Amino acid sequence: MKKYFVTLLVLLSAGFILNGQSTDKLVSSCVMNAGPNCKYLKDFRIQLAKAPAPGEMRYKAQMSLWKNTKYKFSMCTADDSKGELILTIKNDANQVVLSSYDQKTGKTYKSVELTCNRSGIYHLSYDFRDGQQGSGVGVVSMVK
Amino acid sequence: MSGRSFLAFILLLLLSCACRNSSNKKAEFVFPEADTIPIGEAEKLSAEAIDEIAKNITSPVEIANLLQVLAVPFSPDYLASSIDANKQATSFEKALTLGILGADLGYLNMYEKTGSSIDILSSIRKLAEGISVGKFFDFETIKRLSLNKSNLDSLLFLSIDSYEQIDKYLRENDRGQLSALMIIGVWIEGQYLATQVMTEYPDPVLRDRIGEQKIILNDLIMLANPYCNRDPEFGALCRDLQDIKEKFRDIRITYTLGEPVSKEVDGALVVEQTETSQVDMTDEQLAGIIGITKSIRNKLIANN
Repeated sequence: MKKYFVTLLVLLSAGFILNGQSTDKLVSSCVMNAGPNCKYLKDFRIQLAKAPAPGEMRYKAQMSLWKNTKYKFSMCTADDSKGELILTIKNDANQVVLSSYDQKTGKTYKSVELTCNRSGIYHLSYDFRDGQQGSGVGVVSMVK
Repeated sequence: MSGRSFLAFILLLLLSCACRNSSNKKAEFVFPEADTIPIGEAEKLSAEAIDEIAKNITSPVEIANLLQVLAVPFSPDYLASSIDANKQATSFEKALTLGILGADLGYLNMYEKTGSSIDILSSIRKLAEGISVGKFFDFETIKRLSLNKSNLDSLLFLSIDSYEQIDKYLRENDRGQLSALMIIGVWIEGQYLATQVMTEYPDPVLRDRIGEQKIILNDLIMLANPYCNRDPEFGALCRDLQDIKEKFRDIRITYTLGEPVSKEVDGALVVEQTETSQVDMTDEQLAGIIGITKSIRNKLIANN
């Protein structure tokens, strides 16, 4: 029994390590593919199980964005994800500034550029489309 | 203060924040009074709140990017070159200096003065090892990327990521005071860089960016608050931050609301905000900020 338990533990650890490595690869490729005029600022690493019911976006973060700066938000989804990574940004008055998912057309954008004209703290929400399971990376860069 | 009075106070505080965010055509940013919550209460900041505050602090890379956009030439005079990592005796000094040098590294990287960053990298390694977080700083790879000048993106990513890992590790291991010091160091040095450039190359965009720091200054103070009574060094730093805050108090930041405009360009989504922010800051107020920033930053690096 003890032997099985140890084997299980080793397999689980290996799984975690492999998972970590693939996330790192995804982060690197997402950073490198942001674009030629982009300079890396931050990344958000998202891993979510399937939502019990579709609803609010689940991964929340906030960051300051500054006037007179052009930002690029890139979304990279791991191959084994069931849904595509999407992003919505709201200002501190809870108004939507941008969304990478157009509900009217059903189109998902892999990146969105924002020309920021109002300095402040913004709320970023990430999820996978339709509350699906997935892992992915959201990279924020400055555009020159 | 009884539990009920405290709850009422929090409710009022939340209501005042909600009013600030109402959909008036013009709104104004004011310092919330949250930083006046007693230190014991501030200690209860959740890990998520601290994480969010840490993410809100302006990256020195953004300041350096702005300087490049404004065509400000690189100058080594702005760097804290006098810092000797061997002379930083306490964890307080090591963590704060780690932050200051991190900002300098961001400035050097952005200007691709990577050959000159080797000394700073060595100091950063020494300081990181001094507070037992050296394993998160991939010195050899960063050094190789710096010397090769091969890939700025990789260099920026690795440098920023190393700092974020150090910060996360410190917070997760009950050494949040060192994480706070590092973040404060980064901010002070970034602000020093911006204000020093402003004296030599005055520019309205840079001027606004300096004044806009009012938006996050309160968060920075909240980050330090739980540790203000920890030791005399921390107490002095908290007083310094309050002195900086005083210089920002009468600066007005107003917002004009507007709907964002989205369009698709070559299959990508491009959004432009019509909502804007304006900073009203007199020359005297700006001079006050430049003066206090210089004096505090120079005091912090003076023990070398």
